Amino acid sequence: MKAVGEERGLATLEMTLMIAILVPLLFSILEFGSALERWLAQDAATVQAARYAGEIGGDGAEVRSLLADQLRASGIDPGAATIEIAPARVGWREPVRVSVSTEYRVAIPFLFTTTLPIRSSAISRGEVNR
Amino acid sequence: MNALRDDRASAAVTTVVLLPLLLTVLAGVLQLGALRVAAARVRAAADLATLVGVNDQDDAELSRTGVLRLAGDAADVAREYFERELELSETLLAAPSSEIAARADIVAYPSAPSVDARTGARYERPAVRLAADVPLRTPVFGALAFQPVTTIGVLAVSSPR
Repeated sequence: MKAVGEERGLATLEMTLMIAILVPLLFSILEFGSALERWLAQDAATVQAARYAGEIGGDGAEVRSLLADQLRASGIDPGAATIEIAPARVGWREPVRVSVSTEYRVAIPFLFTTTLPIRSSAISRGEVNR
Repeated sequence: MNALRDDRASAAVTTVVLLPLLLTVLAGVLQLGALRVAAARVRAAADLATLVGVNDQDDAELSRTGVLRLAGDAADVAREYFERELELSETLLAAPSSEIAARADIVAYPSAPSVDARTGARYERPAVRLAADVPLRTPVFGALAFQPVTTIGVLAVSSPR
């Protein structure tokens, strides 16, 4: 009976050790995978916004609204994003740059919790002949 | 009982022995994900560059005849914007953006129909085609005895509507 009791204790110890190693590994894959997916979505939204900014000639409520919709559709809170459209007004064939910056919180059990900055930028060309 | 004793801590030992392998798989998965993001950025850069290039219309021809025809510098404009877009992802690249853009095969087909000598595609409208090999940094692959630089090929074509 004593040997069986020892085995039980050992199994619990082993299980604890494995959980402490495997759970952070599993969460690392899930969390970083999610961060990369978010990066892709944010990049795509930024490119769309840059194209639209070129079409309307720079910064405008329409561009910001489109960007906000695209970010929201990707599960990103547009209110927490830093958006820069420069220059605010562009003429015919002048470059316009859209930059979006957000933060993504990564939490790995037993290891760490940190915040990853996710930045996206795209450049387009003004199509409005003022 | 001996067999039981032999089994003691075997799961823990197996886990610890497999830990380097698990960590390697994790690192590889993350590098692959980062490579996918970088490849998507490069594709978006090529798409935007050809779009900007194809928007470079011959204004005089358009106002005179109403026909869309690319300006003479459409390919140069596409190259310039390809470089600008790549500059934004410079840290992901294994070569300067100017060098990658300079090596890119960018051709403007000002009038239609035309046939792409590289791809054999037939364009029914004026088009700008960009083909480039873009070297991307993959340091984790390098550490795992693979290539520290992964080159991806991009092909983008845009036509005006």
